[in-house]
Amino acid sequence: MIEVEALTKRYGSTTAVDGLTFTARPGTVTGFLGPNGAGKSTTMRVVVGLERPTSGTARVAGRAYADLPAPLHAVGVMLDARSVHPGRTAWKHLLSMAQTHRIGRARVHEVIAQTGLEPVAHRRAGTFSLGMGQRLGIAGALLGDPATLVLDEPVNGLDPDGVLWVRRLVRDLAAEGRTVLLSSHLMHELALCADRVVIIGRGRLLADAPVQEVVARSERAGTVRVRTTDDEALVRELLAVGAQVTPQEGGTLHVRGTSVDEVGTAARRCGVTVLELAAETGSLEEAYLQLTGDAVEYRTAGAAGGAR
Amino acid sequence: MTTLAHGHRSPRRAPAAGTAARTGPTLVGVTRAEWTKLTSVRSHLWLLLGTVVAAAATASALGLFVRPDDGRSGSWVVTSGSVLAQIGMLVLGALVGTSEHTTGTARTTFATVPRRLPVLVGQGVVTAAAACTTALLALGASVVATTGARAGDAPALDLAVPGTLRALAGFVLASAGVALLGLGLGALLRRPADAIVGALVLAVVGDHLLATAPGVVTDTVRAFLPSSGARLLQDDAAIAALDAATRGPRLGVWGGGLVLAGWVVVVLAAAAYRLRRHDVR
Amino acid sequence: MSAATTSVPGARAATALRSGPTSGRVVSAEWTKLLSLRSPWWTAAVTVLVAGVITYLSAQASSVDPGFDPVQSLPLGLALAQIGPLVLGVLAGAGEFRTGAFRTTFALVPRRWPVLAAQVLVVGAFALGTAVLTTTACVVGVLPSARSRGIAVDLTAGDTPGLLLGMVGLVVGLALLGLALGALLRRTVPALVTGLLLVLVLPIVLMTAADPLAGGGDPAALGALDAAATTTPLGTLAVLTPGTAAQLLATEASAGPMPGAPDLGPVGGGLVLAAWVLVLLAAAGLRLRTRDLR
Repeated sequence: MIEVEALTKRYGSTTAVDGLTFTARPGTVTGFLGPNGAGKSTTMRVVVGLERPTSGTARVAGRAYADLPAPLHAVGVMLDARSVHPGRTAWKHLLSMAQTHRIGRARVHEVIAQTGLEPVAHRRAGTFSLGMGQRLGIAGALLGDPATLVLDEPVNGLDPDGVLWVRRLVRDLAAEGRTVLLSSHLMHELALCADRVVIIGRGRLLADAPVQEVVARSERAGTVRVRTTDDEALVRELLAVGAQVTPQEGGTLHVRGTSVDEVGTAARRCGVTVLELAAETGSLEEAYLQLTGDAVEYRTAGAAGGAR
Repeated sequence: MTTLAHGHRSPRRAPAAGTAARTGPTLVGVTRAEWTKLTSVRSHLWLLLGTVVAAAATASALGLFVRPDDGRSGSWVVTSGSVLAQIGMLVLGALVGTSEHTTGTARTTFATVPRRLPVLVGQGVVTAAAACTTALLALGASVVATTGARAGDAPALDLAVPGTLRALAGFVLASAGVALLGLGLGALLRRPADAIVGALVLAVVGDHLLATAPGVVTDTVRAFLPSSGARLLQDDAAIAALDAATRGPRLGVWGGGLVLAGWVVVVLAAAAYRLRRHDVR
Repeated sequence: MSAATTSVPGARAATALRSGPTSGRVVSAEWTKLLSLRSPWWTAAVTVLVAGVITYLSAQASSVDPGFDPVQSLPLGLALAQIGPLVLGVLAGAGEFRTGAFRTTFALVPRRWPVLAAQVLVVGAFALGTAVLTTTACVVGVLPSARSRGIAVDLTAGDTPGLLLGMVGLVVGLALLGLALGALLRRTVPALVTGLLLVLVLPIVLMTAADPLAGGGDPAALGALDAAATTTPLGTLAVLTPGTAAQLLATEASAGPMPGAPDLGPVGGGLVLAAWVLVLLAAAGLRLRTRDLR
């Protein structure tokens, strides 16, 4: 359980996190989303006690992180793949972590096997590829068999196998009743593995809801996509029943304020041939872009128009 | 589709008309890029400022202890902060030489300038220029800072004393030389700690350690260390005293400067060889 | 249950104790971390080698003097070799911060200062081993010259045991000074430059100023000067720098004061060095406690 309450963090005149409140609950995977510079990493560093909040609190398992008697067993942390000395082998890195909590060597071997690091365990971390570095970070997070996991961009740099493995891993961890807080830029990936998403922009909370609910908020959700031989006739018919119609590229129409059944019936009434008819579902990505559209801190001039 | 058909007239290609805009990396361009890189890192500027302040402060403090019967010259009083100034210079050189490799900038830099050597040349020019500028500032600051000392017992800065002008110019020259030595060692060793320790031992500390056991061998070794460059800072009387005291070769007026220059050339050549022959990671 | 648990059957059993980072555990973790890097080993090896070789060469050079005393030649190699423990300490102290490994370390030990304390112990212990080997190398280094002059080297007579102890203390003290600077400044280059300035350059600057012969700082000859010379402000200042204090630690108690300096003796020198280490460590600890880690 991670409880963040009215958390504010300022660096001089810059406000990185601004009155953020959310809770990551046991048994769920909470996705943590936001544009670059939105304050995700700052929040995560405050949660694990590396930084002190300017005001507000962040608690793990009901306590401030620094008050945890055995942090490694309470929270598994993977903040940045560069949290390892490049001159140290993966095995020694994990061993030294384990020694702080008197965790046996057997457990170190287990996480090395579990994360697929066996072939490179005795190589210096500085020689690792991005993906291997990520696996080492995840291995460190799993080491203490913690009830809570904080993972910053865990799939960053992983190959498709690795992405699939992380997805199953976090689902399994949550299924065992653990709390998982995970940030990612890969919307599709998050939509697949998160139960709930917390979206922030410019340090402020934009949304905190189940994934399905956020997806349903996207503009496209609830629209009906239709393609016919005679758009004009159908549009007249649909406007008559009070629906809104927007023509799309490629000759399809988007219809709001109605249902697939009604559009089909309307087409039958005016005698046009339906070539394509489906309910649009919307996506997390769209919902995210809508929510963060105003809150994006860094964006290129060209991409700004395209994002809307 | 349309853009392809009208490709040769599309606005994006327009600048290509001026072919001058399309040349590869020139030496001047690379040097200017290196200057931008040097001056855009805040720690470099702090280092140079600190060097000026440390040199002037040392000169000012040491000047207070000079007595008329010490045999110190006016130029010694002004340049007595030179040890700290030289350390600032060699750290600057070592930082410029290693920063490419420690920060990963090397990947960008040498992808842009695949022939690589122009980068080292540019770094040399830029480092020497920064060192000379800083040394001039330090010299000016030291002259001002020792005004109080001269009002007391310290000798006046008298250009009529033989070698005084050379000693002041030598302060600038030796600074540039030491900075280039640091650059060469940095580019050669690619690790700041190694380069700084190496440069410091060669250019400052080694000489003082060897001085503890004077003899033919140690005095000869001392003469051929880059620390001999510090002789550029001595006026004629001090050079004569040094030559009279040594049991090794007598380097005369310019010998010390030549030894330092020789070290700079050899170390930079070795760095160039490594840069050309070895992988950049 | 699911894949994560089935693949780690021993997890619950292995961590049954589930207790946190006690000081003993932090020390053993830091010990593993220090020894798993290559730089400490290299630095230690170079230190021992340089100390032995320089001592040998210095002893050879001075063995032609009529009043040659092998014991006086013992610490000569340390003048250069002392850079080794300083670098060792700086790399150990700043290494965590330079590489980002601190995120892992301080997420595991959120109270933070036990890590610094453990690093002091671990670096101190490693430096102690290095120091013993370094001192041995120095002893071995003077033996050929002593034998060629037919002088027996008795390590148990007079000041010699104290001198050997002081040499060990110098190596350990400088390693801890480096560690404190590294932990305080958190970056290798500034910490290293500060350390070298304090230990090597400052004494040279002060000596150059105190010595009327331009350009000639000459620590070995200092003992030969009149020990009754009055104390000067520069001499006092010199003795209070960690570099001169460390040198003082590795001199014979009977050598008398350096010219113009108050007579602190080896013990006084050791105390000055220890005070520097403690003050810098306290500052590093304060920074660690009160500031964010980014």
